[in-house]
This record gives sequence, structure tokens and C-alpha cells, in this order.
Amino acid sequence: MKLMEYINQSKALIKTSSMKKCRIAFLSNFTINGLAEVMKVLCNKGGVSIETYVSNYNQYAQEILNKNSKLYEFNSDITFLIIDSEHLLGDFIHFPYRFDTEEREKYIKQKFSDFENLLMILKEHTSAKIVVNELLLPIYSDRGILENKESFGLKESIKKFNEMLYLISKKDSQLFIFNFNDLVLKKGYEFMCDNKMKYLADMKISPKGIVELGKEYMAYIFPLTSNSKKCLVLDLDDTLWGGVIGEEGIEGISLGPEKQGQAFLDFQKKILGLSERGIILAINSKNNYDDAMEVITKHKHMVLRKEHFACIKANWNDKASNIKEISNELNIGLDSMVFIDNDWGNCQFVQEVFPEVMVIPLPKDPSEYIKIIEDLKVFNIFGLTQEDLKRRGMYTNQRERNELKSQVQDLDSFLKQLQIKVIIKRVSKLEKARAAQMTQKTNQFNLTTKRYLEEDIEKFAKSQNSLIKFIQVEDKFGNHGITGLFIVNKYQDVWEIDSFLLSCRILGKNIEFAFMQNLIDEAKKQGIKKLKGIFIPSKKNIPAKNFLKECGFKFEKEEEGKEHYLLDVGKEKKREIFVEVEE
Amino acid sequence: MTELKELLSRILNIDAESINDESSPENIDSWDSFNGLMLVSELENNFNVKFTMEEVLAVKKVSDIKNALKAHGIKEGI
Repeated sequence: MKLMEYINQSKALIKTSSMKKCRIAFLSNFTINGLAEVMKVLCNKGGVSIETYVSNYNQYAQEILNKNSKLYEFNSDITFLIIDSEHLLGDFIHFPYRFDTEEREKYIKQKFSDFENLLMILKEHTSAKIVVNELLLPIYSDRGILENKESFGLKESIKKFNEMLYLISKKDSQLFIFNFNDLVLKKGYEFMCDNKMKYLADMKISPKGIVELGKEYMAYIFPLTSNSKKCLVLDLDDTLWGGVIGEEGIEGISLGPEKQGQAFLDFQKKILGLSERGIILAINSKNNYDDAMEVITKHKHMVLRKEHFACIKANWNDKASNIKEISNELNIGLDSMVFIDNDWGNCQFVQEVFPEVMVIPLPKDPSEYIKIIEDLKVFNIFGLTQEDLKRRGMYTNQRERNELKSQVQDLDSFLKQLQIKVIIKRVSKLEKARAAQMTQKTNQFNLTTKRYLEEDIEKFAKSQNSLIKFIQVEDKFGNHGITGLFIVNKYQDVWEIDSFLLSCRILGKNIEFAFMQNLIDEAKKQGIKKLKGIFIPSKKNIPAKNFLKECGFKFEKEEEGKEHYLLDVGKEKKREIFVEVEE
Repeated sequence: MTELKELLSRILNIDAESINDESSPENIDSWDSFNGLMLVSELENNFNVKFTMEEVLAVKKVSDIKNALKAHGIKEGI
């Protein structure tokens, strides 16, 4: 779609009340007309309704410096800063070699330090995520073939500037640097920059380029609005390998280091990469189970093996029913799933039955498959935690646990056999990223579904008036990692549970009760007599609906859609918990 | 290739029937300077031509666009 079509469409978007909301600010020193409209349309498609603010023409610095500016009044959730190198570095861009090497280095470092100061002031005045577009690398130098022989030459200087940007963003959970040069590399310099538009309208990024930039920026919006996907569901025949296993047999399918087979090999490697960074994989295919498993376990070039999949549905049921079952078994919402299939009919069917699933039909030619993965922005998250990296192992262990469960009839003896151990501790610096992530991603067993950023978690952890604890769970099959969190606001005589959440994969083992008991015991220790609980119903948190009652809380009243509960400390329901607690 | 009128109608978000040689930023609200430039970019892609900056700046109304396209040897679709 062209920029003008985005602009026209953005005027007629339909907003519904169930849409997530997000406020986006754009700061730039040149014309970026259309960027806000592109993002409005793309966000709308993704179920997010956005408000945008674009700084006045070339006023970005004033707006950052003035703490009463419209920018701060707008109060964005995310702010994009798009500045060009000519503006920041002046004539240096044209005549860098008027300076000697040392002077060039000093100049670049000075300019960077000025820019960094501006960023720090912006950070001081906003809790929004900040995304800085790195500087565009120049493609021309009057030194020609000698250009890269100079230290702090033109290109190297800009590279150093960008590297210094990356450096300050590495340990900063608020600041992100967008690799603009990657986009230029992908689409081409002449595609992204059009001199005529630059001279006539001060558009330093072409209209076509603005559209592509908007698409790339969406990568930040998914995690910001807790819309990131968690699970990739894959077809098999003509998706992970070429041909139909049921017809062509294990020798006949195309997979391996020859022509077409390589495309499938590379596709699988891209998918394995996602799995290793925490995306859960599942199979949904129409095959005889044994045929499918023969390839997965025995084919010598198969990259994805049984242990990589948390759930395998290879059968003759319709694919929508299978998706639903995968969702139930893994406790992952349908709207956290991406389904990839080469059969457009299957795709359409699943999409019609479950519009909340993101469905991606594969192109005809397998050589284009990897591009599908490369263009997916929906798996982005703001920080990787140890839990993300270990997740695959956890789900494989889950399969084995389920196998044990089906052997043991009685739940209590099952729980005893699991030898569950939990660690419950106050959230410290080490856990704050994971704690924030859990508030962002936990939808089902979550009493209030309040979303917090790392900065918020830090405030809770530091404050005398709140208590924030996490739970880490281990059983004989492995370590689940940190999978639960509660936040309590302490008032004089009563404590109020602000948040209480647990990952669904550890439910059904009485761990939730052990966690609540810990909260209650803590209140008891500090002489608190009353504990207030609130349940805010959402579309997804039905699993948590009766939890407070099950713990012995009494229903008080319903107010503005919130259910209020009260517990007389000491009167909680005691139950036998086969969980060893370490504090 | 899209006909000129259709292109104008899509970019300026107006009815194709209402467009004539005298249509200009004076009498079409949506034809502001930014949309004017979008129009240039779309015309270039659509008719596979490159306008000079001077040609772009000389356009005051639809008939000027037609003349500019003719000057680039475009005979059809205008």
C-alpha cells in the first residue's frame, strides 16, 4: 500500500472499545508527514487504537528541554526520535577532512555528548519508551577508494556515533536504538531517500521509505501493548519439508542440502532460532501421526526434532479444532498464536473460526519462506529473561509431567511424586525485568491484569508502602523459573492486593495456595488483621475468578466492574499443600 | 497504468467526475502542498517519468500536469 492510501485510510478507521490503547510521539528535525498515519492504520489492524503527537517542524530540541512542552503534556507511551546526521553534525558531513584525525574524533565525541545530554533530559521528563533512529550512514565520500583508510573518516565517524548510541542503550530498559541502516540495506538507499522530496519538502526519508519505517516501528508497539505472540504453530507437508510424506515417503520428500531442500532447511533453522529465544513451537498438520513422527525423529536432515515441539497435532481433524486443543493444552491464548501453513484453504478456515489467531499463508515458492519469518515483528519483547531462554525445556518437561499424570490416578499422590519446591522472595534488581514481563504477559491467572514497566516494579520494590514478591518453582522434572508475582499496597490497618498472578503452566498443583499463604503469613507477622482482595474480570482471567473465595476471602461488593473481597487474617482456608517452601 | 483522473481522485480523496483542467489547490481542499508532492511521486511511478523540480513547482492546476506529462512524451491515460 502506498503512503497516500495509508493517509486516506487513517481518516476512516473504526475503533472499538475492546481495542488496546497507545500514545505515540514523533520527534524529528525534518518532515515525516504520513508516518503517524501509517502507524495508525497498522496498529488498527493489530487491534490497537493509537493517539499520535508529531513535534512542530524542527522544534524537537525545544520540546525536550521545556518541561511544560506539548510533548510532555501529550504524555506518550513511546517516543520516536528521528534526527538526520547533517542536522546534528553540520558541515562535518561535507568537509570532514578539513579537520585532522584527532580533531575529528574530538568533534564526534563532543556532538555525541551533546546529543546524549538531550536524551538524558528527555528520559528525566518521561517514563515513555524512547526509540532513537540511528544516523544514516553516508554512501559517498570525496576520498573515494581511500575513504576507509582514514581513522575517524566520514563513514567511520558516523558508525562510531551509532556505536556510542548502542552503548548507552545496552543497560537502559527505557532506551532503544532502531537500526535504520538495516532497513536502508534491505530496501536500498535510493528507495529510502529521494533528493527531490528532500529539496522540495524537507522529506529526508522518501514517501515509500516512510511506509517501510512505519512497518518496522510496529516491532515496538506489540510488546508495548502486550500484544506480542508467544507460540508458533506449523504445518508439516510443503511447509517444513517439500512434498507430502504420506504419498512420497521419507525418501521422497525434499529436505536437505540440495536445491529446493535447502530452502526448507533454512526455514527450519530460522524457526529453531525463534524456539531458542523462547518462542513455543507446535505442529498442526493433516497427516498420519506415525508418518509425521517418522520424519521428525528419523530424517537425517530434519532440524526441528520432537523435543522442540511443546505440542504435536498430526491427525485428520480440522485445523481449527487442533489449534483450539493446542491452546488448551499449552494454556496459551489463541491471540498469542501465529499459524503458518502453505494451504490457503486451511489458513482461511482457521482465520474465519478464530479471527484472534494470526494466520500467515506461505507463498508458493519455498525460497520466499524465510522472508516470512524475517518480516514477522510480532515476537518482539522489550527484554529477554532467563525464563525466555529456558522455556523450551520447560514445555518438554511439561509433556513428560502430563505423561506421569495419566499414570497416577489420585491428584494428591501425583503432587507428592512431583516433589515441588518453591522459592518465594522479595523482588530485587535481578528479577525486576522478569517481574515487569510477567505483568505484561500474564492474562489468565491474574486477579487485576495491571500492566507494569520495569520502572514501576522498581518503585514498588523500593517503597516502604508496598510489598512485592516473586515465586520460583521447581519439581523433579526441572526448573520452571520465576512464574508468579504479587504486589501488595500496605495501608495502616489493612493490606490491599494490587496484583496477584501466576503463569498457567504451574497451576493445578496447589502452588497458587502456597503463594497466597505466604502473603497472608507476612501480613500476620506484621500484625495486619484485614486483607483486601480485588478481582477485575477481563476476557481472559476466568481461571482466577474463584481464587479469592477458594482462599477464604469473603465477597464484599461489586463496584465499577471490580469485585471487592475481604479476608480476616487467621480465618483463611487451610489446605494440605504438597509444596516445600523456601524463603 | 492508472488514468490520470483516477489517480487524482484516489490521492486527493475526491470524486473523479468532479475533476477538470481547472481543478487546482485553489478549489480542492485536500490538494495541499504535501499531497501535491505525493501526487508527483505517484505520477512518476505511474507514468514512469521523472519530473524536474522546476516542472514540479510550475504545476498550478490539472492542465499543467497534463502539459508536463505530454512534454515527457506521454500520450495515453491523460
